Amino acid sequence: MKKVIDIHALTKLYKIPHEKRTTLFETAVGYMKRQLSYESFYALQDISFSIQSGEIIGLIGKNGSGKTTLLKILGGVLHPTSGSCAIQGVVAPFLSLGVGFHHELTAEENLYLYGAILGLSRKEIKEKMPAILAFAEVERFKDMKLKHFSAGMTGRLAFALMTQTNPDILLIDEIFAVGDKDFTPKSLSLLQKYRDEGKTVIVASHSLDLIAQYADRVLLLENGKIKMLGTPKEVIVHYQSS
Amino acid sequence: MHEMQKYINLTYELARADFKLKYYGSFTGLLWSFLKPFFMLLILYGVFFHILKVNIPYYPWFLLLGIIVWNFFADTTKESMQSISAKAHILRNVNIPPVIAVLSTFLHLLWTFVITLVVFGILLGIFGVPFSGNIFLVLFLLMLLVLVTLGISLFTAPLFTRFRDFGHLWDILLQMFFWILPITYSHTLVPQSYRVWYLANPLTRIIIYLRDSILYHNTPDVSALLYTTFLSFTLFLIGVFFFMRQQKMLIEHL
Repeated sequence: MKKVIDIHALTKLYKIPHEKRTTLFETAVGYMKRQLSYESFYALQDISFSIQSGEIIGLIGKNGSGKTTLLKILGGVLHPTSGSCAIQGVVAPFLSLGVGFHHELTAEENLYLYGAILGLSRKEIKEKMPAILAFAEVERFKDMKLKHFSAGMTGRLAFALMTQTNPDILLIDEIFAVGDKDFTPKSLSLLQKYRDEGKTVIVASHSLDLIAQYADRVLLLENGKIKMLGTPKEVIVHYQSS
Repeated sequence: MHEMQKYINLTYELARADFKLKYYGSFTGLLWSFLKPFFMLLILYGVFFHILKVNIPYYPWFLLLGIIVWNFFADTTKESMQSISAKAHILRNVNIPPVIAVLSTFLHLLWTFVITLVVFGILLGIFGVPFSGNIFLVLFLLMLLVLVTLGISLFTAPLFTRFRDFGHLWDILLQMFFWILPITYSHTLVPQSYRVWYLANPLTRIIIYLRDSILYHNTPDVSALLYTTFLSFTLFLIGVFFFMRQQKMLIEHL
């Protein structure tokens, strides 16, 4: 067991201008007026925790509590305003389902594209193609355009591809919404296999049942602060009673 | 995979997807990309040859070459401009340098340009226009064109991402450039006193030298070529520098 994620006093402050200047004209006028008023909003405030390898962490909290912001900082898309976020190993961002999927392309073509986004070469995907299609249960539809896929099929395809990236840390944001009763356990047992291989999985979800069942520890966020971090049972009981 | 290799692979895959989407399964997609310059040629030829009576040898070819180069420049700078917001969904969720969005758009337009050039070459052959230029010189000039276009694209992309009305301004500037560049007319018509400034635009020189070497068996002298190279690289480097400075804040403006 080693520490793979170490977050110390992490704060993310969003400055939301009262009037957002998105045109040249507005900017010119704004410079003349010389006023810039911001609404400060702490998406995350003074967060500290660390995660060992081989853990599944559940991330829960109401909408707007900072779950996605935290995942984005871990994924390196956003940068913290202050504090530090030290990560060891390769992170696979899986923040929204099938980012980069294109409806006019076929399932296979989409896998090449999405694979490239996740850092896989064409050759690697070609080798893994049968396994990916089989896991997603869409072998028969590999030449079909994605626009004819159901949301569930698309989600499974994205998840199946992600499992092939072989990262050290997996970040997952609400994926179980798309899986049916057969696919969800399949993907969750895969996550457990990852954990057993010493990988770290961070899952943000609203399905408390699944979190309770599979997570080793649960982090509860409230208004950008850590409300509680502990075993699934105690955190979920606390969350439900609040 | 090594980081750099990953990014090159991603640029290629994104370009490939864009290219496919544009011409997907439909013959018409590719056809239109030829019909557009063809009709532009017909209109300009009608006006300049029959009404304004320009007297330039091989005028249709003169015009067509100008139009092809122009379309590449105009299409690329316009599409690159929107490339970052077009790929916003990816950039916002995965840690990828925004320049990849610009480069992939650039790459897929470059492929279209190459296809157009090949068709142009075939047409030259079919209609028996003698090509006796130095192929290496032509390739070198095309490389400079690519550099200048990329440099300008790296300039327009962050500006559009930051200021959404920059698109309108750029449309106006493109209109202006179209008539400033010697596309429909010969640069020799420009009064001598403006000539120094007129020729300070690398695009102007690239168009002139491309025509000279492809159609008129003239080779520009070395000093002129060096000057063009210098101007092109300068524009390119300004673009790169500008983009690097803007890169960090781009995601926040998406």
